[in-house]
Amino acid sequence: MADFSLERLDVDGALAEAVDGVGGLSRAGFMAAGLGGSLALLGVAAGEARAQGPGPGDLAILNYALTLEYLQASFYTEAERLRALKGRTERAAEVVGSVERAHVRAFRELLGSKAVKRPAFDFQGVTENPRAFLKTAVAFEDLAVAAYKGQAPRLESSSVLAAALSIHSVEARHAAWMRYLFGANPAQAAFDQPSSKREVLRIVRSTNFVTGSPSTERNRAPRYTG
Amino acid sequence: MVVAQRRLVVLSLGGGAAVLALLAVLVGPGSEQTSFGRDLPAPPDQALDVGRPKPLSGEAHVSLWTTVRRPVTARSAPTRAASAVANLDRSTPEGTANTLLVLGRREDAGGDVWVRVRLAVLPNGSTGWVPRDAVAGYRSVRTRLVVDLGRLDVTLFRNGRRVLQARIGVGLPQWPTPRGRFYVRNKLERYRSDFYGPLAFGTSARSAVLTDWPDGGFVGIHGTNRPELIPGRVSHGCIRMRNPDIVRLGRLMPVGTPITIS
Repeated sequence: MADFSLERLDVDGALAEAVDGVGGLSRAGFMAAGLGGSLALLGVAAGEARAQGPGPGDLAILNYALTLEYLQASFYTEAERLRALKGRTERAAEVVGSVERAHVRAFRELLGSKAVKRPAFDFQGVTENPRAFLKTAVAFEDLAVAAYKGQAPRLESSSVLAAALSIHSVEARHAAWMRYLFGANPAQAAFDQPSSKREVLRIVRSTNFVTGSPSTERNRAPRYTG
Repeated sequence: MVVAQRRLVVLSLGGGAAVLALLAVLVGPGSEQTSFGRDLPAPPDQALDVGRPKPLSGEAHVSLWTTVRRPVTARSAPTRAASAVANLDRSTPEGTANTLLVLGRREDAGGDVWVRVRLAVLPNGSTGWVPRDAVAGYRSVRTRLVVDLGRLDVTLFRNGRRVLQARIGVGLPQWPTPRGRFYVRNKLERYRSDFYGPLAFGTSARSAVLTDWPDGGFVGIHGTNRPELIPGRVSHGCIRMRNPDIVRLGRLMPVGTPITIS
């Protein structure tokens, strides 16, 4: 059976890196030390939302979903812009990308000023290699399906739940499509398992796809020619 | 044969009657008593409206840029055997990330991806190829800046639409502002310098004359303490703007914006 977990992807060795042990620190310690840059954005999303009300409410879940949608939309958009894909894979990236961007727009509209910002991403070349692209796409879609499944039962509002379910089934279609293109069984299991937020974020962090924004601004006097 | 046909007719009639009976039970007044259970409420309204998916648009106005992830040699062709064009560090003399404008990409025979980038080196207009793994993630902008040395003005476009136009000061004849294609490399602000005004953009353009200028003679776009000299040919090569104009430009123009100076 093919393993599409993000941890098993091999992107310049970055994904082969175990979650544990970064220079003697655990990944958790690495993040806690503040060395993870904007990777922490993913975790901050929930913290910011929690500040709006007690408990892990719908706002936190929506921002968590938005963060995953950012990840997917940015991935497909970059692949389409770079034009490294061909044929059916290229077409699939265009279609799925347009849908993921629609999800992002919808979440941002609903959340308004409470929406988390888009993190910076570095896909480390997987958008430029058709095989790596498909494998990553399968992993992203499977992860999104499991993430929605993990949070849907916790949503308090039935209208938010209805919206989440409408997106969840679309993500499942994407997962099946990408699996088919990759040559894997699109619907192998009789029951899919949910993933907790902690598990999803751990996996996303382990990819190193989420990066800090490059430091392109400084507070210092110029020495240009004048 | 006739008996068999009769049996088939009887079976067909019997089957049809059973289907009709089932439909009657389902749609009839006693339907809530069937195995389908009671009627259920309609689905709830959805909290968000996922609009119609849209293809990427306006891509003609999108430019990609990146930063140097590790020190690397830019080469004249997408192969390690090609001649060196420039050695690239991770940071600029100003201490910001070393930005590169992305012009294209190509796979070599071994399947490795190379990225063609515009370089902030002399001679102006230089480009080179770097391995994909030497640069960070791609970022995008939808802006471009056009500097007209004849009309002495700058025009900023976003998505192809003009969003700002302002008069400028440019290089004196002995220190000309270089012509060509460049990009915004960094942004400096909150410093104390009346001469440079409140904000300065660094560009990839370099003075071909003032090569011994501190930090390499990069051409900037900045404010001024002599607004009365604008428009004019007054600088050492930099593009000077009145302070309100450079502040507006600072709000509208992101790092990575391509620049054309003509």
